[in-house]
Amino acid sequence: MSTESTIAVAIDAGDLPMGGGLMALVRPALLLLEPGGVLAINSCHDSLQDDLSVWCRIKQHEYLGHEPAPMAGASGTTEGSGCHDSSVGKPKPTVRHLIRRGDLSVPQGSRETNMRLEAVNGRLSAEAVLSAVPMPETADPRTGFAPRGAQVEPGGPRYPFDLLDRNHVAPPEVAKLYDQAVESQWDGNRDIPWHKLPMHSPDLERAIGQVFTFLAENELSALYVPSRFVSRIHPAYAEVAMFLSTQMADEARHIDVFLKRARSGGAGLGVSSVTTSQSLLSLLELTDFTEATFLLSVLGEGTFVDLLRFIEDHAPDDVTAEVVSRARNDEARHVHFGLVHVRHALANDPGLYQRLENAVRRRAAVMAANSGVPEPLQDGLTILAAGSTTYRDIARGHDEFRALLDEMHTNRIKRLEHAGFTSAQANTLSELHTPNFM
Amino acid sequence: MPFDTTIILGAVAYDPKVVSIWEGIREYFNDAGAPFDFVLFSNYERQVQALLAGHVDIAWNTPLAHVRVQHHTHGQSLSLGMRDSDRDFHSRLIVRTDSGISSPKDLIGKKLAVGSADSTQARILPLHFLKESGADLNSVRLLLFDTDAGKHGDTGTSELDVLEALRRGDADAGTVGDLIWVMEQAAGHIDTTLLKSVWTSPPFDHCMFDALPDLDAGKIERFTSALFAMTWDNPEHRRLLELEGLKKWMPPREEGYDSLRVAIAEQGYPL
Repeated sequence: MSTESTIAVAIDAGDLPMGGGLMALVRPALLLLEPGGVLAINSCHDSLQDDLSVWCRIKQHEYLGHEPAPMAGASGTTEGSGCHDSSVGKPKPTVRHLIRRGDLSVPQGSRETNMRLEAVNGRLSAEAVLSAVPMPETADPRTGFAPRGAQVEPGGPRYPFDLLDRNHVAPPEVAKLYDQAVESQWDGNRDIPWHKLPMHSPDLERAIGQVFTFLAENELSALYVPSRFVSRIHPAYAEVAMFLSTQMADEARHIDVFLKRARSGGAGLGVSSVTTSQSLLSLLELTDFTEATFLLSVLGEGTFVDLLRFIEDHAPDDVTAEVVSRARNDEARHVHFGLVHVRHALANDPGLYQRLENAVRRRAAVMAANSGVPEPLQDGLTILAAGSTTYRDIARGHDEFRALLDEMHTNRIKRLEHAGFTSAQANTLSELHTPNFM
Repeated sequence: MPFDTTIILGAVAYDPKVVSIWEGIREYFNDAGAPFDFVLFSNYERQVQALLAGHVDIAWNTPLAHVRVQHHTHGQSLSLGMRDSDRDFHSRLIVRTDSGISSPKDLIGKKLAVGSADSTQARILPLHFLKESGADLNSVRLLLFDTDAGKHGDTGTSELDVLEALRRGDADAGTVGDLIWVMEQAAGHIDTTLLKSVWTSPPFDHCMFDALPDLDAGKIERFTSALFAMTWDNPEHRRLLELEGLKKWMPPREEGYDSLRVAIAEQGYPL
């Protein structure tokens, strides 16, 4: 039998039977021990030894036996509370059972200690959590959906997560962006002054319907593309999946309000062009997370931000302006995520630039037959900027549209440089970008 | 036709996990240089017949099937190994706390729920040991739960039926294996204000790998070498060992089946 000095933890089990709650004391107490550590259970329940010895065998612990409990006050003993035998009117004898913890299913890692997250100015941010529980450099697919920091029992199944590398998945800013995203959510039913929409000429309204058809189609792709990666991201980098879920919620809201705008002025939806369709399919088919983030968020949504600002600047009414203004704020956050993601990955992967350039070139090759902006969109934007279909206004609208293309190119280069590319690289990539904008 | 060196093992499919276990062990044995395949049976009677007829080389047998193989081979069959967890099983007498039963002798005039006719731990041995402990079984009314015939109690269904009958008050006492009793308690499925264990049987042993006496010596050597080379410290082995419920494969021992041989003779159980 063990000596007092080997007992690491002792519990007072009173007269609890094994099936009467005893295990809720025994199992957590064993979890506190290293394999090989000894647990003492002081119990006055009759014949607990038969049950404990069988349970220990099943769970691969070692039942060391039982002995009369030492007198109260000695190490690991208690007063034997709850051990009064009412039938004879005197205390029941307390027995000390000893269990040595085995090594079956011992969780990996140690229990988190001193976890006392504190609110700052009444807020407890995801950024604070990330700071307290940093992401590992690589992740093990066998830990499944176990939250980062949990102790994981060995022997679990391998999950099909294949985004397992922090450098290519999780920029350090992601939790902060998630906090911002959550704070910036808005309601497309309530927050747009729909009742203030004025009547426009049928030509202008048809142009608006066309523009918003294009916007909604592109936002549908921006909803679907991240969804293909969420289920591949290891939960150790959950903040990335959480951020993408806000991005997808944003896109859902944009699709909703864009279609509502197109259908509120009498013209309804316009044309979906093959150029757009081919361009978006080439986004949807991407399988590399960094490539997809780069093409969708940095190049695509970056350009989209310029487009939304153009629509806002030329919006003929407050409703249209409000819709694109709110969407643009969200898109700017997606671009920010794309930038920090790519910058983080570029800093850690010297070969990445070439891979990204190749991805842009492959996409450009697919789009080679389509040299210009989809015609229905070009016309819609020109009329929108013109404000009417008189030829003098159209001439101005056309100039505005051409200026938009220049501005998009200039801003793409700025963003690419911000993401960590050289000026020459940025210029090459921007030139190759899809004429579909997204 | 060249001599096939593949070891063919029979096992009974009492649960879907049996497929995972033997698929894993087949992969391990083949990698370990012991060509191996398995055949699944729906019951132990068919498996024992197949072993005796030479259709399989080795059968993974319950204690009842083990004793049956020994009976039909006049004690000449080969016992090749067992799990550490097959040693020192016990049966329990579980009673309702309001039954007034505190020992086997108190069973007089009471209703006793027992498991399947072919369950070593829930019927055959507890009845034998209770009688040895002074229970007058002629004055006991038996409530029989004969489920999963041919599986020899592997599924545990009849033992759960016994516990449920006790909970409902359909019986005063019941017999189950200690594995079920302890696991059901640990899982919180037992109302300990209603049920308690008042008696534990002497120990007995459980499963065994059986083979006919003329099994090729090379197959025996390859099988036992690969089997006993499995270690808990190897994660791939450990996965299989955990599934099959053991920490270590052990050499055979026969004394753990003596009580079963006596019980079978005493109860006239057909072999």
